[in-house]
Amino acid sequence: MRVGVFFCQFNPEWSLALDPVIKYADNLPGVVLTRQMGIKPKPEPESLAELIRTYDFERVVIAGDSPGYFKPLFTKAVAMSDLNTEEIRLASFREHGAEGADAIDRAKAILACAVFGVPYSLAAVPKGGPVHHATLVIGGGIAGIQAALELANAGKQVYLVERTGTIGGHMAMFDKTFPTLDCAACILTPKMVAVAQHDMIRLFTGSTVEYVNGVPGAYRARIKTRPRYVDLKACVSCGICSEVCPVKVASEFDAGISQRKAIYIPFPQAIPNVYIIDGDHCTYLQTAGTKCGVCEKKCPKECINFQDKGQVTDIEIGNIILATGYDILDPTIIPQYGYGVFPNVITALEFERLTNASGTTGGRIVVKTKKTSKRTGEEEWIFDAGNPPPKNVAIIHCVGSRNKKYNAYCSRVCCMYSLKFSHLVKEKIPGANCYEFYIDMRAFGKGYEEFAERIREEGTFVVRGRSATVSMNGDQLVVKGEDIVQDKNVEFPVDLVILAVGLVPARGTAELCKLLGLKRDSDGWFSELDYNGNPTETERGGIFVAGMCQGPKDIPDTVAQASAVAAGVLRSISSGRGIGHRSSLMLSEIEARAKSIHTY
Amino acid sequence: MAIRVNPKLIEDLTSFGAADVNMCYHCGDCSAVCVHSDELYRFPRKSMRQLQMGLGEKIDTALEPWLCYYCGQCSDQCPREANPGETMMSLRRWLINRYDITGIAGKFFRSKKTEILTIVAIGLLTAMAALTYHFFRGSIHVYDGENAFLPSLLVHLFDLFLGAFLAVILLLNAGNMWRLTMLKGKEISIPWWLYLKEFLVLPLHFFTQIRYAKCDTGNREKPYMPWIVHLGLMWSYLTMLILVMVFLPFLQSGPQIDWSVHIFGYLATIGLATGLVYFIRSRIRMHYVQYKKTHATDWVFVILLLIITVTGIFQHIFHRLGLPVAANVTYLLHLMAVTPWLIRMPFTKWAHLIYRPLAMYFSEVRRSAVALEQKSEVSFRPVLQTI
Repeated sequence: MRVGVFFCQFNPEWSLALDPVIKYADNLPGVVLTRQMGIKPKPEPESLAELIRTYDFERVVIAGDSPGYFKPLFTKAVAMSDLNTEEIRLASFREHGAEGADAIDRAKAILACAVFGVPYSLAAVPKGGPVHHATLVIGGGIAGIQAALELANAGKQVYLVERTGTIGGHMAMFDKTFPTLDCAACILTPKMVAVAQHDMIRLFTGSTVEYVNGVPGAYRARIKTRPRYVDLKACVSCGICSEVCPVKVASEFDAGISQRKAIYIPFPQAIPNVYIIDGDHCTYLQTAGTKCGVCEKKCPKECINFQDKGQVTDIEIGNIILATGYDILDPTIIPQYGYGVFPNVITALEFERLTNASGTTGGRIVVKTKKTSKRTGEEEWIFDAGNPPPKNVAIIHCVGSRNKKYNAYCSRVCCMYSLKFSHLVKEKIPGANCYEFYIDMRAFGKGYEEFAERIREEGTFVVRGRSATVSMNGDQLVVKGEDIVQDKNVEFPVDLVILAVGLVPARGTAELCKLLGLKRDSDGWFSELDYNGNPTETERGGIFVAGMCQGPKDIPDTVAQASAVAAGVLRSISSGRGIGHRSSLMLSEIEARAKSIHTY
Repeated sequence: MAIRVNPKLIEDLTSFGAADVNMCYHCGDCSAVCVHSDELYRFPRKSMRQLQMGLGEKIDTALEPWLCYYCGQCSDQCPREANPGETMMSLRRWLINRYDITGIAGKFFRSKKTEILTIVAIGLLTAMAALTYHFFRGSIHVYDGENAFLPSLLVHLFDLFLGAFLAVILLLNAGNMWRLTMLKGKEISIPWWLYLKEFLVLPLHFFTQIRYAKCDTGNREKPYMPWIVHLGLMWSYLTMLILVMVFLPFLQSGPQIDWSVHIFGYLATIGLATGLVYFIRSRIRMHYVQYKKTHATDWVFVILLLIITVTGIFQHIFHRLGLPVAANVTYLLHLMAVTPWLIRMPFTKWAHLIYRPLAMYFSEVRRSAVALEQKSEVSFRPVLQTI
């Protein structure tokens, strides 16, 4: 086989010392010519074809950070020189992760595979030891629940670790799912109950992973459970403790639009369905037992234990699934929308809780009004079921998304949930006007475009052009923008502004990455092994990603990926071959494997 | 009517300063945040669109770039960092080039080498002319009166000649601007008497630049500063121009200070110096988005004006101190900078002194014409009616 290797650099800032790689390429069997083409070369196809003919190449390898960029040019040249265009091979250094300490060895391996005509992913299969059958799932949202249930139903032990007091994650906060407008809780709650009742799932709520060590297939992890101060087994969630508790705190589950007590249950369907004491706000705990303690006295089951110190559990597992989800971007950093300044500018998550039948207003969509707090005497803006409903609602898309200052990426779900909001407003408030300010309508899934069409037909005013500012004209909120389709400047007086805020990786993602030795992409999400071909595995053997923590995605995609992850885990368990870190692969191993595939 | 598309329009515009037009994805943030963008003149987004589509004719006949004072809010808010404010600035340079019938402006904007060489050549020519005169008649030891090195009457005549040259070019270019914006780019008929009706707009904007005061510079500590400095610079400049063009013999007489004339000179000098310091300081600090990019012609503008101001101050001081040689040398240097400066005026950014108030005037005439045809329904809820 006579092979010509062409090094073409696409990104001028990409820095990999090519000299050793070129030297290595020169010594590979079959390579008759290596040529360094420089940054973004534009050779004439005719002269390239001439070169290919002169050397009588049987295979052409394009090597570089993004060699695919140059493929059309080489295809043209190869076609002109009567060589089979299938014999153009790409050695994609960047895409196969040739960076960091072992970048040069990795690049050599990638190049060797290309020269031998073997796909890198076929040759680079790490060997590993036997696999422990238990799995650790980090994150108890829909992705974690789905993956845990898939594995548990296959008869494998699962440890599900959740940071907050209940599983369910963000999906539990939602009212309806798009585009079918199914009730989110009706899908999620049975799954949550199944998790709680499953013999093969051990649930750790209020817990975090302290460390992970070991090798793929035989990891050891320590799970630290924060004190709950309530006996998990004894509590029957009668709620007396919460009734008597004098401390009020903004409810995390209600996105801050309502208040909960210091001893609370996040929501009535929480799993485990047990009350929890917020140690940061409880008077008894904050004063070291000198004040209050009324819940302990009133509890009929005597299940409150202020001496709870939490616990530490060491587990052994074979695989780890990351399903840590996301947080919403804090819109106070974008001053022109006036979030935090104007009370009736709210985030999508707050609206989600407002319109939820289990929310503070019982599902009535209302505006905030000024009330004087009885306890502190301060004026505050609150949602109350008796408040008037908004007549005009503006929904602003892409808040902080697709914006080079905040998130450069598209958060993917906002277009659809915003349209859903329009529907909910129109359904619950007859005669209300909804204005959707969007840049591009990204209705990408099954039935989504039809859903967008339906919302338009329902009479929502869909304005193409993002609103630039939200301001106050007297008592009236005013949303200003440019409708670029109608070619008009628009200015709408509205009562409620909903910001379709973008999504960011959940807090703690960076720490978890460090803990597990994983990579994150430029936007902060976990890096998968290969976005197209292997979207569930990571660089580290036996560590998988599912759901939002890998990148924004909607519920159907999250559930699908969670199930796919379970398949990956089960494959590693049942194959008997085990798994290993891809990064630990030696150049000689890959080379040998590539050669062996090459020969037969 | 067929629309001609120029696919290289953006590429062409890069030499005038705009670099990021293609980044724009038309969210409309910039148009919505701009206080000057209204139903009839909507920018900067629309101009960005026209550029992306290569609608050269629409760009050439547009008044919008002149309605922008570059407060920088649009570029500040742009999610794509497409820099709409800088694009409007570049479009103004582009339009100066378009209005210019001689084609010199384009050469200056496209190549700083051409511009600098031209300036140096004109400066040297001026020096040669002065030295030739010196060879025959003038004496370097005499500043004023008979046998003066540079007799003020002669310089005055030269000034008037230059002034006439400038006026002719500017008039022709302004006429060209009118032809492009009001005849070629018109969508409706404009009755002639509207030009009379709206005439007051011209002096109003020329002397007050009142639209600049309306710019929303809320992100700054002193929101009125850019307007005041710009206005002060313009007034000082205008005063100095009139002094030099009309009252030069009085200005150059002395060594006694003639307060009735010189007081204006002092005030104008203070204004110019302040403006220059402000300009240079902000361009170096780059603390607001509008100062981040400075075109080569702008630097030439500032440096020349700096030389003129400094030499002007010194020749004045030397003259009053009774140092005729030093005064004559600085005066020659001064003239070497002033001549290219004056000749350069209609072909560079300076010309916006004329074009901008004209554009405001034309835009108001157009607006009245539209109102006449009752096409403009100034409604804030247009979407409701059309969807």
